[in-house]
Amino acid sequence: MLARVAAIGVVLAVLIAVPPLLGIGWQNAMTNMLIASLFAMAFNLLIGQAGLLSFGHAAFFGVGAFATLHLMLAIEDRSVSFSTPLLPLAGAAAGFVIGAFAGYFATIRSGVYFALVTLAVAELLHSLAPHWDGLFGGEAGLSSMRMPWGGLSFGSTLEVYYLALGWTALSILLLWAYTRTPFGRLTLALRDNEQRVRFMGYNAHATKVIVFAISAMFSGIAGALLAISNETANYSLFSLHVSAQVVLHTFVGGSTVFLGPVIGASVFTLFAFFVSDVTRSWLLYQGLVFVLIMLYAPLGIGGLVQAHMQHWSRLRWPDLAPAYALAGAVGACLTGAVVFLVEALQIVFSPEYAAARRRLDGAWPPIELFGLEWQVFSPVTWIVPSLLAAAGLLLLPHARRKLRESWDGVLERAEAERTAEPEPQLAGAVEP
Amino acid sequence: MRGKSLGLAMGVAMALGWPAGAGHAEALKIGIIESLSGAQTSTGRLFATAAQYVVNDINKNGGFNGAPIEIIEYDNAGGTTGAADKFKQAVADGVHVVLQGASSAIAGQVTEDVRKHNIRNPGNEVMFINLGAEALELTGDKCHFYHFRFTTTAPMRVNALVNAMKKAGDLGKRVYAINQNYSWGRDMEDATKAAAKTGGYEVVETVLHEVNKIQDFAPFVAKIKTANPDTVITGNWSNDLLLLMKATGDAGLKVRFATTFLDQVGNIANGGQTVLGHYIAHPYNIEADDKGFPEAYKAATGHLPVYIEPQTVNAIRTLGKALKGVDFKGGEVSVTEIAKALEKASIETAIGPVSVRAEDHQAILPVVVSKVVENPKYPVDGTKLGFGVVETIPGPKAIYPVQGSCKMDRPS
Amino acid sequence: MHRRPRIPRAKAQPMEFLIISALNGVIYGLLLFMVSSGLTLIFGMMGVLNFAHASFYMLGAYIAYTIATTVDFWLGLLVAPILVGLLGIFIERYLLRRVHSHGHAHELLLTFGLAFIFEELIKLFYGDFPVNYAMPDYLRFAGFTIYGTDYPFYRLFIGFVAVAMFITLYLLLSRTRAGLVVRAAERLPAIAESLGHNVPFVFMGVFGTGAAFAGLAGAVAGAFFPTNPNMALELGVIVFVVVVVGGLGSLEGSLVASLLIGLFSSFAVGLDWSLAGLLSWVGLGDWARSVGGVFTLTLSSISGTVPFLLMLIVLLVRPAGLMGERN
Repeated sequence: MLARVAAIGVVLAVLIAVPPLLGIGWQNAMTNMLIASLFAMAFNLLIGQAGLLSFGHAAFFGVGAFATLHLMLAIEDRSVSFSTPLLPLAGAAAGFVIGAFAGYFATIRSGVYFALVTLAVAELLHSLAPHWDGLFGGEAGLSSMRMPWGGLSFGSTLEVYYLALGWTALSILLLWAYTRTPFGRLTLALRDNEQRVRFMGYNAHATKVIVFAISAMFSGIAGALLAISNETANYSLFSLHVSAQVVLHTFVGGSTVFLGPVIGASVFTLFAFFVSDVTRSWLLYQGLVFVLIMLYAPLGIGGLVQAHMQHWSRLRWPDLAPAYALAGAVGACLTGAVVFLVEALQIVFSPEYAAARRRLDGAWPPIELFGLEWQVFSPVTWIVPSLLAAAGLLLLPHARRKLRESWDGVLERAEAERTAEPEPQLAGAVEP
Repeated sequence: MRGKSLGLAMGVAMALGWPAGAGHAEALKIGIIESLSGAQTSTGRLFATAAQYVVNDINKNGGFNGAPIEIIEYDNAGGTTGAADKFKQAVADGVHVVLQGASSAIAGQVTEDVRKHNIRNPGNEVMFINLGAEALELTGDKCHFYHFRFTTTAPMRVNALVNAMKKAGDLGKRVYAINQNYSWGRDMEDATKAAAKTGGYEVVETVLHEVNKIQDFAPFVAKIKTANPDTVITGNWSNDLLLLMKATGDAGLKVRFATTFLDQVGNIANGGQTVLGHYIAHPYNIEADDKGFPEAYKAATGHLPVYIEPQTVNAIRTLGKALKGVDFKGGEVSVTEIAKALEKASIETAIGPVSVRAEDHQAILPVVVSKVVENPKYPVDGTKLGFGVVETIPGPKAIYPVQGSCKMDRPS
Repeated sequence: MHRRPRIPRAKAQPMEFLIISALNGVIYGLLLFMVSSGLTLIFGMMGVLNFAHASFYMLGAYIAYTIATTVDFWLGLLVAPILVGLLGIFIERYLLRRVHSHGHAHELLLTFGLAFIFEELIKLFYGDFPVNYAMPDYLRFAGFTIYGTDYPFYRLFIGFVAVAMFITLYLLLSRTRAGLVVRAAERLPAIAESLGHNVPFVFMGVFGTGAAFAGLAGAVAGAFFPTNPNMALELGVIVFVVVVVGGLGSLEGSLVASLLIGLFSSFAVGLDWSLAGLLSWVGLGDWARSVGGVFTLTLSSISGTVPFLLMLIVLLVRPAGLMGERN
């Protein structure tokens, strides 16, 4: 426990101390990372705690952003006086109210039907917003400006970053505290066995509505932070892509671990920051990572980390290290092969390349990749990824066996020690 | 985080024997915030290509402020959120001039971001050269000193169309307006209604539909058929234009289309014979250019100038002209000085002069009304069809009055 | 924003608009049905809501486009559904079955990730813009002419393919032994298995068939409607609406719902109804117009919203849909 608090303290200290030393681009990327993390945490309250899979959380994210912008507009034309750092309260309130309303209906249903109701709610807003000028500013959306408050101008990216950091940290703390309350335990029970909760005399529907509203409230705060950061919002906030991103972030990070969604959101937003200007295929990589995690590590990155922490004392590194090294090598080979292929194909199929070919009267100019020039029809070009792929695929079964053997050893030792603590639940945790 | 073209600029620098790192001179940095992924990619690419073409030219002639001009590309992923993000990145990279054009919604975001940035960072301003976003509000409600628009707007296009078509006897008495339901489409609808009197026609019906979402325009064609118009005026672009014309062709409906973006790459090839005889008003027609620009452009980029490329070239050329009028002696670049010079700059093109109207920073530029014809000098999209010039309207005649909603704060 | 008070004008439209719109609506509905039939069958049997189903539609269109431009249009129509069907079988056998033990939510997420990948792959190879997938010129003629309006033959062709598919499917399910096993596996998988039927094999077959139908729909319709990387997402959400409204798992229901949604989207563009117009019947029209906002939105401008409203209402009032049998 102490170690965990210390680790969190270190992370917080880094998040506070480092950004002033970074450029504006980094500060902005880190602000986005915080917003995505908070959104994923809010989303995970539903799926991780209550077992409800929402495919329309963009609705509450967007509502929070629009509510905040309306407040900002009112402040801008001086019809309202409100403190800038407290702006996310508008997003929280709007998220809570709309969340309670939508949640009341959505939670009548469960499983796939629940997911479909949430999807329909978000799509409804997405298709309505561009036509509703008064509320959503039409297609262009709303735009406002952060006003100075209390001696702070809120003009710089760094100030916005600290505002986002404060709200995200506070929200995550509140979400954590929530899981410790009796009501939080009740939601967990609801996920595991709704029947039992009913028999115990609790109103399952009311409980779900409250969880839903709280999740929507924190999503609203995340949306508010985005509105504050960008000073704008338009209907695209309601799009399926936004709902999809939060699902991706949460499950890659791991929905069964409290801070798992933060891991997923951070990895993906920073990933996007680094590669989105370098390659146009980053969404493809994102999809591939997600599917691989769904297939081979259903508990996400967070699940893997947690497994290591749980069995820390039982890990025998002389066994594990070679297995991990091998797995890492296999991963590097396969990643290299896939990235090489995707990037090379992307260049060959791009309109720029077609234009270059026209300039050269149909000749095939070499493609530039990883700082080297590659001839399109030279065997060397295609031998490189083929060799990488072959090496990776040949070693893959071996690596998997080694991993399994070394982890079997860990689990055996755990079984042997077998304390009073029950086995952590590994599968079925995302069952709706 | 740098775009690929940075390397190119550096390459040019080396070739011209500039000292590596460009000495102490502050290079002028131009950031293109365009859709380089997502639905509008190909248009975004064209803006970038055309801008790069002129900048290469300027750099060959000594660059600016003792250093080559740098172009950095930013992918806004086709959305306003992406644009807001990339604007911040551009500011972080020290960009002085932002270019954008593929969408009025994104331009609205960029122009607001630029305005706010300039309020917060006096002395470190950024200017926005709008290459293709035509919504009137950008030079109306949202106008500010650091925004310049180098393309037409709805009244310019519609008035030109109406007058030229009336003269040619192709307009008729019944006009139908079908447009996309956002700022640009509504501008087109308003302009169509406003021109009814001078054009001597009746607007029989107007329709606003969802933007680039409609798979099947047949229901709309049924509606148009019922209204029985002679001419359909539409500001639709991309799929919305193509599908509308295809559905009309399939239904065998005989109407003439008066369009604004028929020259988008691929439209003629996709539309086939159905587009023959339809009209377009655009800021440039290659058929009217006998000054050798098309060939020079092709030699440098591999293709003839298409769609929004010529207007982009003109915009950056005007900027280049303005840059000649300021001199920072290799020191710090002042964007305000450049903006002031740009207000007064004008260039000659084969179609006519291009200049900036100081009151709202709308460019005064010629508008060409063209008609799709067979076997022109420059057929497009690998077909036999192309755009024959019907009439070229000089800038001063094509321009509309300054909008009353534009309240511009000018720096002293 | 000055709007005249309007009475609903649909009645005032001439016959011509009615007939053309009805035809368009029916054919668009049949197209929706081609895609939604597979989705609803798969859900009915396996309980998997396949997010990647509309991707099969898109892949069908792109495969057919590739073959049509390099070899022959008709070969494309034949090969595309087969390839897409094989892909469906692969996905069921090697991916979905792998995560089956983790529950339906996990399967849903997996298909969701796959949809993501397919869209990006298409963008990688074919670019972001629509490709020029068109029917051969000899198919581009008027099927018949009504009130001076040509009705394209190819539209009728789309409808014909859909009807042929529905009849085949119906006969397969109701008249053949395989269909009997499928229906048994759908209702009581455990008992079907204990009776010696290879239920996993049946699942795989149904998944592949559903994918192939979607691929066929894409191959046929892609030549008429735009073929672009967004087509899966755009059609996907509408197809969800269809299967929900029709009743998840009900083939007949999804046919009815497809036609309903098709007719609605066809007629909606002609309807200038708004809440304000509705309220003016009770004398509140001026008040509603002065409030503006949602009251003055015309049905035609929000025709994209109505299907989702319908879906919500069905989900909340009658989750079994029009023809579904169970919740």
